[in-house]
Amino acid sequence: MDIEFFLLLLLVTGLVAGLVGSMTGLGGSVVVIPILVIIFSVPFPDAAGVGLITILATSSATGAAYVRDHLTDLRIGMFLEIATVPGALIGAGLTVFLAHRNFDDALLVALGCVLLAIIPSSIARRDIELPVGVVPDARSRRLGLSGHYHDGPLDRDVPYVAGDTSPALGVMFGAGVISGMFGIGAGVFKVLSLERYLGLPMKVATATSNFMMGVTAAAGAGILFAAGYVNPVIAAPVAIGTAGGAYLGSHLLPGLRNRTVRLLFMPVVAVLAIEVILRGFGLP
Amino acid sequence: MTQPSTPSGGDGDARALPPSAYVRMSHVLRAGLLAAIAVLATGVVAYVAKYPNQTSGGVLGANPILQYLSLSGLVNGIAQGHVEAYLTLGLIVLVATPLLRVASGFYYFQVGRERTMAAVTITVLALLLFGILVLGPALR
Repeated sequence: MDIEFFLLLLLVTGLVAGLVGSMTGLGGSVVVIPILVIIFSVPFPDAAGVGLITILATSSATGAAYVRDHLTDLRIGMFLEIATVPGALIGAGLTVFLAHRNFDDALLVALGCVLLAIIPSSIARRDIELPVGVVPDARSRRLGLSGHYHDGPLDRDVPYVAGDTSPALGVMFGAGVISGMFGIGAGVFKVLSLERYLGLPMKVATATSNFMMGVTAAAGAGILFAAGYVNPVIAAPVAIGTAGGAYLGSHLLPGLRNRTVRLLFMPVVAVLAIEVILRGFGLP
Repeated sequence: MTQPSTPSGGDGDARALPPSAYVRMSHVLRAGLLAAIAVLATGVVAYVAKYPNQTSGGVLGANPILQYLSLSGLVNGIAQGHVEAYLTLGLIVLVATPLLRVASGFYYFQVGRERTMAAVTITVLALLLFGILVLGPALR
């Protein structure tokens, strides 16, 4: 394939991933990694490295607006990173360890299974606009894990407080491992933790999850990058396309966000996941 | 209609980060992303110009990054006009942007004399740097 056409295809792949990723909150790498593996025959660890670069681009492109609008709770996000970052380091380290021992195919099968597992959680996700009866635990009170944001449609300030931090930290650690190991954002698990255990409103949970995804991805990408598993010639056009797609998705098409897009997008993820599993088993 | 939770017992408002923290972190994100994309886009155009006969197989068959992962290798590569080194620099800027975010958080918690949150943030930053500078190279 000519280099111009190859790089253009990678750019378009990133553009689609950024667009869909920013609108669904999945980060876009769930598209990029399977496409790199299935269509371009990129080895899994290299594809995971590019996937994490995709997450970084999406998080930075959409995060600036979220942070500026005070939807991101920086305090809660940074507190939970104490769990996601070690998880991502372990996950990425495990991927490199297994790749060195030629377990790429097993990693592909595991990735496909993780993608399939994400689908029901993503479809069944019930965003709670304004949670009720959240009681902060001692750690939440001590660290002041509470805040408020201005809700445009409701035209008022909405206060919130973080509830049960221990299970939230546990889920975040698991999300970090999955993110680092498979190169995906694991946003479904992060939002689940923020909504279910901490009791944060949907908008704050989504924005804070996006903020955290960038830092978690930096941990995983740092490992894969430093271990030599990111090909800059492949990662560069994907990152450019992703940033453009994420910008479009978050700024120009806000009306298309959320559940509808996730429902439309999930069959694509399912097909890609099955293809990845088949590839892992050495089937065409 | 549901009612919002009440931050009972929470003292987050009393210790809220200043609005300037949000604005500056937003600027850090935007500046980091724009700088990375500018470097990467220039690098991609330069790559096509420099290697017009390259193929997808050639790109997939050789990952040039290892020779640019040391500071001297990166600097020498850029000085000698290696496009791959330039692309690596763009990716480093992209990876470094969230680290700057965390460093900004540490600064604001330190200025606000929030020792626990400052300790949490500096621990996260230390873990990130450990992964990139120690664990990743050790796994090479």
